[in-house]
Order: sequence, then C-alpha cells, then structure tokens
Amino acid sequence: MSDHPGEPSMFDYDARPVTAQIVLVGERASSVGYAIRDFLSRNGFPYEWVDIENRSRVDEVLAADDRDRRRLPVCVLPDGARLAPASVQGVAAGLGMLSPPSVSSYDLTIVGAGPAGLAASVYAASEGLRTVAIEAIAPGGQAGTTSMIENYLGFPQGISGGELAVRATAQARRFGAEILLARTLAGIARDGPGYVVELSDGTIVPSLAVVLATGVDWRRLDVPGVEQLLGAGVYYGAAPSEAVTCRGCRVAVVGGGNSAGQAAVRFSRYASHVTLLVRGHDVGASMSQYLIDRVRALGNVDVRESTRVVGLDSDERLRGLVLATGDGGTATDRLPVDSLFICIGGEPRTDGAATIGLAVDAAGYVRTGPDVDAAPGGRDGWTLDRQPLPLETNLPGLFAAGDVRSGSIKRCSAAIGEGAMAVALVHRRLAELTGE
Amino acid sequence: MSDGTAPAPLAPPADGVVAEFAHLATDERIEHAAAALASAGMTAMVVASGEEARRAVEDLLPFGAEVFNNTSRTLEAIGVAEDIERSGRYQPLRLRLYQMDREMQQHEMRNLAASPDYVVGSAHAVTENGSLLVASASGSQLGPIVSGGGHVILVVGGQKIVADVATGMRRIYTYCLPLEDHRAREAYGVGSGVNNILILNRSIAPRRITVILVREPLGF
Repeated sequence: MSDHPGEPSMFDYDARPVTAQIVLVGERASSVGYAIRDFLSRNGFPYEWVDIENRSRVDEVLAADDRDRRRLPVCVLPDGARLAPASVQGVAAGLGMLSPPSVSSYDLTIVGAGPAGLAASVYAASEGLRTVAIEAIAPGGQAGTTSMIENYLGFPQGISGGELAVRATAQARRFGAEILLARTLAGIARDGPGYVVELSDGTIVPSLAVVLATGVDWRRLDVPGVEQLLGAGVYYGAAPSEAVTCRGCRVAVVGGGNSAGQAAVRFSRYASHVTLLVRGHDVGASMSQYLIDRVRALGNVDVRESTRVVGLDSDERLRGLVLATGDGGTATDRLPVDSLFICIGGEPRTDGAATIGLAVDAAGYVRTGPDVDAAPGGRDGWTLDRQPLPLETNLPGLFAAGDVRSGSIKRCSAAIGEGAMAVALVHRRLAELTGE
Repeated sequence: MSDGTAPAPLAPPADGVVAEFAHLATDERIEHAAAALASAGMTAMVVASGEEARRAVEDLLPFGAEVFNNTSRTLEAIGVAEDIERSGRYQPLRLRLYQMDREMQQHEMRNLAASPDYVVGSAHAVTENGSLLVASASGSQLGPIVSGGGHVILVVGGQKIVADVATGMRRIYTYCLPLEDHRAREAYGVGSGVNNILILNRSIAPRRITVILVREPLGF
C-alpha cells in the first residue's frame, strides 16, 4: 500500500478498513490540518490525507466549489458530510464523539484520561463508583503518543503508548466508566460537599469527588518563529500522525528525556537521518539507559549534547535550524532539516482549575498531602479536623494524580500507580461524607 | 486472496461456471447443509435474507467486543462490515491495526490479528455434508478461524452450497478466484491468488463456530 512501500506485509490488505474512511484535504503546512490529523490519529480514526497539490486525487474527492483555499482544510466524513473549513471540534461533532453525560451526577469526576486518569477510571468503575472522565484530545495523554514503552511491567516486548491507551480505555468502559472526549476543562467550583465541573462546550458534571489528572503540556521552545511554523515542519511531541510522512526526510528531535529518545527511535525507522539535540552535556542525566543504548545503536541517529536551538530557517515551511553548541553556547552551527519535533520538559496543565484556589508549587504543579502546608496559606480554607490525604489537594475531595502533581515521578507506571492510589483515597473521602 | 504477484488479470468466469456456482441452492439443500454443519460441531442457522443475517450477527456480538471483520463482499453487501467498523458498538480490530505503526508495532499487530475475541467472515463453499472451504492469499484470515479467534461467525450466501469438497475446490478456482482477482486489482492494484485453502470438516469446540446460511446469493 502506498503509505508503506517496501516489502509486502501480512497487514497490507488485512489491516485496512473496508468501509469508507475520513478524507482530509488541505495544505501540508497548515496548523489546523495538523491538529485534525493529530486528533484523528490519536483517537484511532483512520483517515486519508490528501495534499491540495495532489490534483488528481483532489479531483476525485472534492467538487470544484470545495477547492477554495480559503475554506481549507476540507474534511469528508464517512457518511459523506463535508466540513469546510474543518476544525477539530467540528470533526469531533461530525463523528458523534460529543456525547453528553448519561446521568445527572457522579461519585467521581476524573479530569484527564492519560495514564493516571485511565487508571483511576478503571479502578473507580471496577469498584462500583459512578465514574466519568473528561479528556480534551484523546485517551492516553502524552504517553499515548509514545512509540514504544519497553520497561512497562508485564510487556517484555514493550507496548506502544497508543495501544496501552486503547486497552485501558476499553477496560475502563467495560467496567462502566464514561469518557467524555474532545472537551476541555472550563472550570471547577465547590458544590455542597462535592464539586461541579464545567466543560468547554458548557456541559456541567456534578460529582462528590474529583481527581485532577491533567498531566503536562510540552514546554514551549523559546525561539522566534516557532509558533508560525507549527504544522509546517515544527511539531510539539512525537506526533505519531507525522511519522510516515517523514520517510526519507531529515528530522531533528529536541529534548533529553525518554519522550525525546522514543521519538528518535520512532523517526529513525522512517527518516533518512535523525539528530537528537540535548541541551545538557550528558543525555544519561535524563534518559533511561535502555533508551540511550537503543539510540546510540541506530546508524542514522546522531546525539548532539550541549546543543540548543536558537533560530529557524524557513520559507513557507521549516528548512533548517540554527544551533548554539558547546558548554558556553557561543559557537553556532546550521543544520538542514525537514521536520523538528519538540519533546522538552513539561508545563503543568492546570487551565480551568486555577480559579478554584489550588495550592501549587513555584513551577505551577499541584501540591497534595503534607506538601500543601509548604505553600503560604496552603490550608487557609481547610475546615476539616484532619490533614489532607496523601494525594488530596488543599480542597477536600479534590485529588491530583500523575504528572500534574507536585513531586510526582514523571513516568507512565508511576502515574498509573497514583491513579489507582487516588481511588483508594476517594473511597475514604466518600465514607467521610456519608458518615461511614 | 491478494498476493501482489498475479501477472495479468484473470478472465471472468465462463458462462457455464457462473451457471453452476452463482445460483441459489434450493431450500432443501440449504437446510440439509445446515443440519450437516450442526452434526460437524458447528452452530448453524438458516435465515431468509441478508438483513436477517445482519440482525443475527448483531445478536451474536456482545457490546464492546473486540471484533475482526474479514475482507468479505458478503459482509459489505449486508452492512455487517459497516456495523463492525462504524457503529461504535464494538472494538473494530481492522481500524486499530490500520492505525498502528508497522515499523514499530509488528509484534502487537501479529498478536492482535491472530487472536480476536470474535472473527466475522464468510466462506467460499459449504458442502452438503458439512465441510467449509475458505481460500486466502495472505492466509491471515485462516488462523483465527481455525483456532485463534474466540468465536467465529461466518455468513454464507445460499449459492455457495456445493455437493462435496472437490466441487468446492472447483468453485474456488474457476469462479471465486477470477472475481476476487478483479476485486483485488480494483481495491489494491494487485492481483489475487489461491495461496492458502482451509478445509474445515469438524469443530471440536462446541458453539465456537456459528454459520449463518442465507437464502439469498451473497458475495462470490
């Protein structure tokens, strides 16, 4: 098949849908087009991407009056409906993903369906709690874009983040957890003994307890021009939807953590050359040894330590990087690349939760348990005659788990452990409310 | 049955072959085949139409089940492929496999494709004494039918009833293959081949295989 040239595979014919697919037509260098591709890919919807310059295919899928460049990207849904210009929200609605909550209130609302949120969903629903999780993009969170997690317990051959997310989502739903997709958190407010969560589409979700498992966003790369080139050769994260399009290209990955290492391994299978750019002088300080070994063994991957991106060469899309090298960062170098994937650090995702008065640390991560008292006035509104439980924030019944929590270990398995642990603590809070 | 190597398009089935293999069997022959399938350890149902078959498949598939739909004109014609891939009632493995990274996830893909909870497909011939014949170019559909799949549901048009295995083989080579070759060239740009043939004479696991015989011609 055209996406995967080379030797025939058992999957060439048997692993493709036999029914109509989503078709997305647009300009390659389009941030909206990229956002839709990313959304579809991470939510498991097969789609065909058609570049507007591919005249013969465009003629087949679009009527003449749908080709106005001002109305790109155009999305043709399996039922034939056309969205022009298409947006992530429009596509989500057109695919029937915006289902409302099925009941008027829940025992537990989980904000975020990454590893921590999915684990909390599975454990809460399996223990009989009326559970709803809300997710802005796709189940799996940042880990869901990881090509292969090789040190996750019980998977000796490794498992991709996407597959782990698919399995966990199915598991959560099998136990009865609801997952509301494609909506962000707009706000959280106290509501009697519990909370009410408001979503970006106005949906209101009341519950007795909340687990905040919103994770982290990629840290922005502070280089002029980055935002203008998003989707046009510059991407945050490992962008699974773009891997195939990197075949034969020159790729750079910025970052020294496991996410960056996994991205380098993934792209090495497709790209002609991958350069891993690490700010620190020793990649071993931030990356697991097994990944370092894997990356170093790849013939088409270079690791450049003590190197920062300080500028971009571009026309309508990315053409190259300007690098500062050496410990002082004084020497400069130019690196021609077709794509840049930014996998650096993280910023806690607390948008929508800020107004309720969560105690956070200096970097914005949510404080929990004994750490609440380390914040000035951390327990000013606290009225209970007990300490906050280990994963409980400064607000009773509002817990934080996973990467968004201050002091958490930024590993997938640790987040899953915290998700499970949070549910045990939610039970204690619910027992407190019912006087048991 | 696509294998990417067939050198030239095959001629369509000859008129005599079409006359022999495209026509609906009598109700009596279909019932006889159903009884024989039941004697061979399979659950057999006879339904009047493709629409009834579609409902029967829906009744057999639990909500949320992991389902692989084999490439099948029959399933496409009666809407079962659409139900599996698009209804949201199941976990459609085809879509999941299509999304996976062939470079990084071969191991996961093999595991998933080899052992679905439910595999839904068709057969190329059913003999009057209860044998099923299924041909495949890649062979990947056959393992799950034999043993990999937890449950197997096969929807078979009533024109596929044949007297015996030898006639079933002739049906595959002279009738199904030219039609499948044409389909594969349209769909994949490559021809087809009878590279693997499964002859299933008996199932030793009760209720694992359900065959829905339809009193309508469906598929090849």
